[in-house]
Amino acid sequence: MDDVLGLGPLLASTIRFATPLGFAALGGLFSERSGVVNIALEGMMLISAFAGVVGSYASGSALVGLATGLAAGLLIGLVHAAVSVSLQADQIISGTAINLLALGGTGFLMETVFGSGGTSPRVSAFDPVRIPGLADIPIIGEALFNQSVLVYLLYLLVPLTVFVLRRTRFGLRLRATGEVPEAVDTAGISVVRMRYAGVALSGMLAALGGVYLSMGVALSGMLAALGGVYLSMSLLSAFTENMTLGRGFIALAALIFGRWTPVGAIGAALLFGLAQALVVTRGSDVPIPQEFVAMFPYVLTIIALATFGGRAVAPAASGKPYRKE
Amino acid sequence: MDTRPAEAPDAPPPPRRPAAEVVRRQLGAAGRALVFPAVAAVLAFAVGAVVILATGQDVGAAYSALFRGGFGSAGAWGRTLLNATPLIFTGLAVALPFRAGLFNIGGEGQLYLGAIAAVWVATTLGGPAPLVVIAAIVAAGLAGFLWGAIPGALKGLGAHEVITTIMLNFIAINLVTWLALNPLAGASATPGTGSVADPVRLARLGAGLGRAHWGLLLGLVAAVIAYLVIWRTARGFAIRAVGLAPEAARYAGIPVAVNGLLAIALGGLFAGIGGGIEVLGVYGRVSIPFVANLGFNGIGVALLGRNHPAGVVLGAIFFGGLAAGAQEMQFAADVPLDLADVLLAVVLLFVTATGIAELLIGRRARALVDGTTLGRGLAG
Repeated sequence: MDDVLGLGPLLASTIRFATPLGFAALGGLFSERSGVVNIALEGMMLISAFAGVVGSYASGSALVGLATGLAAGLLIGLVHAAVSVSLQADQIISGTAINLLALGGTGFLMETVFGSGGTSPRVSAFDPVRIPGLADIPIIGEALFNQSVLVYLLYLLVPLTVFVLRRTRFGLRLRATGEVPEAVDTAGISVVRMRYAGVALSGMLAALGGVYLSMGVALSGMLAALGGVYLSMSLLSAFTENMTLGRGFIALAALIFGRWTPVGAIGAALLFGLAQALVVTRGSDVPIPQEFVAMFPYVLTIIALATFGGRAVAPAASGKPYRKE
Repeated sequence: MDTRPAEAPDAPPPPRRPAAEVVRRQLGAAGRALVFPAVAAVLAFAVGAVVILATGQDVGAAYSALFRGGFGSAGAWGRTLLNATPLIFTGLAVALPFRAGLFNIGGEGQLYLGAIAAVWVATTLGGPAPLVVIAAIVAAGLAGFLWGAIPGALKGLGAHEVITTIMLNFIAINLVTWLALNPLAGASATPGTGSVADPVRLARLGAGLGRAHWGLLLGLVAAVIAYLVIWRTARGFAIRAVGLAPEAARYAGIPVAVNGLLAIALGGLFAGIGGGIEVLGVYGRVSIPFVANLGFNGIGVALLGRNHPAGVVLGAIFFGGLAAGAQEMQFAADVPLDLADVLLAVVLLFVTATGIAELLIGRRARALVDGTTLGRGLAG
């Protein structure tokens, strides 16, 4: 069957745009479900994107980069938890502080580690891995199953998150902590510990999104898959200052749009990814200045929030520091 | 309240002079207000010291260069005040909406739009220079006001202002980039708009203060106006009521959405004027890329200044000095400039942490926390 409409490349591009959003949205889910608003997703992604590149640069191995990226995400998650849960700072302000820390900190570390700001040296990244059989499905096979291992990890994490939240004791306790922390406390479960767990998981999931951004796809793979439009994407195997460009916030919007459920959040991430892929792959047919093309994901996010944000139901205790009385 | 009887039988204490009493109370209030910022600043410098040590530099040398570069001479003060000028405006842009319980992270975009509006008016409008300056600043404020009204209106539709203001920043930056490179493009070799004619620029303060300009005084005036609006008008009362207790305000017939919208639009007005004054006082044009992070740094300024206009001015001078000193620190002690941003972020991280103050001064700390809080989740 011939892909006359170019659906395969469009789907492949959609997946690439949606993946960092999907990881971060799942990250936001764990934090919010535990009752901690996570505005810091953006900063967590940015720091992890940098830490991953440093790890990969130092070792020559993308896997080591993944580990250092995850460690950075965990660390920043623990900082957010320590400040907003233990020290009871305003969660939104603490998150904003982490975002600014990520921006200034990665700038500082670029100078310290690589000797100059801007863009890091190219590092080893995750090349696309073709899954035989599945990748042979007409039209969609190549798009879905000739991707980076990180994309496959995201495929697995979605059902896993549903299972953990719905079917495990941990998931039940986490959700209860975000809705009625008093009841969780009365049942003898530590609200503080559950919130630390939620925010730490959030940091590590956001880290996967960050690592995907900075080293998700090697340049050779990008060129082959996208045929020329790679330049308008930041998915290169290097770190660039402020490379997240608001994706952490778009992921939060996806989470809200998806009504704080894993499947909803991933669906919203895919929708945002599709919209962006459409603009990037088909945008050249319409004479729109590139600045307006670049505005598109942000405008879309606002429209999505303004249309559906009001009807969304957040975890009841989300945003409120918990104080034992 | 002093409820002692006026005439005690034995050894009556001399009645305290009312004026002295008022001053003492005011100083006491100001002192208590400084607890959180002071704790946060000390912690930030401690974290900074660890970072400097980790990069193998001398903490003493680095911090003395930081102080010298920020406050050590008239020239240093000039650079500090130059940096502080836009931060007063972007700090007010956060402080005023905060009083209504809204967190405006959109100062960056509002400042960009103010800057481009000022350049547009200043380069196209003819007439006496002072009138053109005023028209340019009004245009800058109007642009910021309208851009700030958008997240206010969206809030009414259930879209949280933290996300919408960030999204609007990216939209504004792209819009200003397009405007500066297309309809307003100048003939200069560096990309950006044309330049504002010299008579339309803001004059320098002189007095050995280098490039610091009259925009600083406009910033101080703006802070006074913000104070009067918030604490001396019925509208300001409504805005504070909405921030402190939205349900009570609603019950009292104060429209929550309208006052929130107005507060964040007024915040945008200040950021827009800040952008206009920055181009009229410093750059004379909007170059692409334009100066970054003035809006974001306003968040730290406002929260360090506890969202009070006087605190915003002090916070702006503190961060202005930090940025000026960081240049000296990079030169003298080889510590990257970005450390100033790191210090700012760490201050912000700790400035609302009641837990730290509780550890230090016990439960009294809770009484010091301002009633206005943001933490209400992300749903509308």
